[in-house]
Amino acid sequence: VSGELPAEAYVAALAGFERMTSSRLRGLLAGREPAAAFAIAIGSGPAPPPLSAVFQRFPDLAAAWRRDGAERAPERCWEVCLAAGIDVVMAGDERFPPQLAADPACPPALFVRGDLSILDARRVGIVGTRNSTQQGAATAVRFGHEFAAAGVVVVSGLARGIDGAAHRGALGADAAAPAAVVGNGLDVPYPRRNAELWERVADRGVIVSEWPPGTRPDAFRFPLRNRILAALCELLVVVESRERGGSLITAREAAIRGVDVFAVPGSVRSRASAGTNELLRDGAAPALDPTDVLIALGLDHRRANRSSFDPRPMPRGDDAAVLDACRSEPLTIDALADRFDLSLGGVAMVVARLERDGWLIDSGGWFEVVDRWRGAG
Amino acid sequence: MLASIPSAVLFGAQGHRVTVEVHVAMGLPAFNIVGLPDESIREARDRVRAAVMSSGQPWPSQKITVNLAPSLHRKTGSGLDLAIAVGVLVAADLVDPAATDGLAFIGELGLDGSLRPVPGVAPMVGVLGDVDVVVPVESSVEAHVAAVGAVRLVTSLTELIGVLAAERPWTEHEPPLLGSAPHPVPDLADVHGQRSARAALEIAAAGSHHSLFVGPPGSGKTMLASRLPGLLPRLDRERSLEVTMVHSAAGVGLPPEGLVARPPFRAPHHTSSMVSLVGGGSRSLRPGEISLAHCGVLFLDELAEFAPAALDGLRQPLEDGLVRVARAHVHATLPAAFLLVAAMNPCPCGGGPPGSCQCGEARANRYLRRVSGPLLDRFDLRVSVQRPAVDEFLAVRPEEPTAVVAERVGTARELALARQGVLNAALAGPDLDEFAPIDAAAAALLRAEMEQDRLTGRGYHRVRRVARTIADLRPGPADVVGDEDVATALRLRTSIVPARHWEQVA
Repeated sequence: VSGELPAEAYVAALAGFERMTSSRLRGLLAGREPAAAFAIAIGSGPAPPPLSAVFQRFPDLAAAWRRDGAERAPERCWEVCLAAGIDVVMAGDERFPPQLAADPACPPALFVRGDLSILDARRVGIVGTRNSTQQGAATAVRFGHEFAAAGVVVVSGLARGIDGAAHRGALGADAAAPAAVVGNGLDVPYPRRNAELWERVADRGVIVSEWPPGTRPDAFRFPLRNRILAALCELLVVVESRERGGSLITAREAAIRGVDVFAVPGSVRSRASAGTNELLRDGAAPALDPTDVLIALGLDHRRANRSSFDPRPMPRGDDAAVLDACRSEPLTIDALADRFDLSLGGVAMVVARLERDGWLIDSGGWFEVVDRWRGAG
Repeated sequence: MLASIPSAVLFGAQGHRVTVEVHVAMGLPAFNIVGLPDESIREARDRVRAAVMSSGQPWPSQKITVNLAPSLHRKTGSGLDLAIAVGVLVAADLVDPAATDGLAFIGELGLDGSLRPVPGVAPMVGVLGDVDVVVPVESSVEAHVAAVGAVRLVTSLTELIGVLAAERPWTEHEPPLLGSAPHPVPDLADVHGQRSARAALEIAAAGSHHSLFVGPPGSGKTMLASRLPGLLPRLDRERSLEVTMVHSAAGVGLPPEGLVARPPFRAPHHTSSMVSLVGGGSRSLRPGEISLAHCGVLFLDELAEFAPAALDGLRQPLEDGLVRVARAHVHATLPAAFLLVAAMNPCPCGGGPPGSCQCGEARANRYLRRVSGPLLDRFDLRVSVQRPAVDEFLAVRPEEPTAVVAERVGTARELALARQGVLNAALAGPDLDEFAPIDAAAAALLRAEMEQDRLTGRGYHRVRRVARTIADLRPGPADVVGDEDVATALRLRTSIVPARHWEQVA
């Protein structure tokens, strides 16, 4: 029976072995058929260098792989992939993204849901913190929307916060398809609350992972995922990031690969923008508007289909001043009362009006301005 | 011979009269106590015997039977020691029966005959009625609070025997001054900035609205809560007695002037058990923290760290203003009408401005879920408190002192009581339209809030009650609740969940 198995089945099995890394997998597959590589990995034959050196350094690894070989029979792994509609695309395959194939840290195979060919279009990555502010999320939605509308594929990580918002924005434009790179198995949507978004991205665009189905979202996999994300984009936009965020890893991976990094500036007092502001200081290009990025891509950015009509009634007097104050940074009711020398009831009235008209949102006692893109997508 | 000595025991916060009957007769020497005594009373046999002998009296080597009447109820506590000892002495003809006429005895005996205080002297003396009570010196204040007859203070059984044998007079003690001394309470003037939180305190005090302060550590939640009792009016005589009885029963020290005249402030630690909060215990049914906070403030800091079961135990008392504690053999009803003030962080990391939270979503949700929805619903005010800005914190601008705010609170409370007979928090839903009518602008505002899903039906009524209080507090006529009152009430009912709805943005 094994004779009928495609080579991909062996790769799907091998990729899920304990402590399997892309360099180990590359070493195994170098110059031999995947079936032979599988046999070597499970100890059926003598381990050639450099694998023998690895086994020597980690004495328990050979036993672990023997065990994995029994548990991860290629037939079964292949069936799982087929059942979940997951393709395995190996590095030599013509469908394999060429920008990734040239990468020194290229994964030997990708697990794919959806259509890889959409990556042939122009591609911009949007990444950022999972704990975003309302404003950050709204910015991500807007950027995602505008890029997609301009025919640019939005590449992101399907995470909570900025990533998910970027994907939602892109889907909302109903133009260019979105792409996602994730750090776990494609059959386990993570985070779970993004399950529906996950399906929509797979449906309309593509989701790729270097890990086989069933892989859990372990913390160490996300930085690895970031290198693939960085390699897949022509240009990377960081919307919000802490001073030590995962999106900074993506930005570094992008810089190594010569991918231009854009950062959305934020208040110097906002923790959520500490990382992005640092990127700007270190020479990243500022992205104040999606247009800034589109110009860098050399794309025509005429605002043809964009409606500039905002149905919300324009605030006046104190209302306008309060809205303006909240635009630069979220403020509390006390801060507003002090700044505008209003009574508590007075501020409460202003805020109540702005909230009713959809300008402000109460986020745990802090008032944030709502972008008009709320409701898009 | 037979002796019959009045004394009392404690159930929950109530005293119960007990007659100690002692029978001494010929027979094999024995010393038995009947009438449903519990372990602590049975141990009295050894204490009483040693105390009598230490006082230089012979122990009758006869058959001694002690009955605690009425024998229906289980009795507990060591306060009967003194009455049993006196009963034995009278029944054994060592003390003249006439000398104990019109006297009741409460107190625990030491082996050397010294007299020791027991908790609950005030409620116990209260039920004894028009007799002179003999109590330990340490219980002077508690006894004077409730006594109808004279209070006799003794330090030892020897001294008492001397008095009963007419060898010496009662020792004279200066009676405690039962009045009210001014109490230093933390002053609101110390709180800088925190405008909305200060307003919330004032509103909570005026309308008796349960309040929850949500904010990062160091934002002054505890400081604010401790200023609330100072805003409440002093207790009237009747309330004051009620509270004093409970405090005495729990063995909590009374103020030097006897009566607890200030609304109490209780702040149990978040590791407190359900029993210590609600009251109970297997035998004695001690009043819990919620009863000690009767007519005052119960402050639960770090609300989400309390055991969920302990918190849910608060729901019935919050509804009824009293707590019924039942055990296999006994049950007691304890007063528990308190103003609940709680504080918590918005999430385990403490939170802060949007974008500064470091918690994973699952962890933050787990933290918030520890406080059950029904309990959260009881809070009329949910106030977001933030760390004050440095300028504000260091400002020398004088802040309003407690005395000024308390006066407004007092006026608003009188206004509410005159209008509807209860404080605003207790206004029933159907009565809102009569006592808290809202004008058209306010109604429109509430409607918009509900249409945009920021306000639930239950929240609607709570906002209207709070708005009523806000209108009562503001100067000028306030028959009708206006939109500014409602807007303020809405701001003081923030969603406790920090912005974790990024996904809704898209």
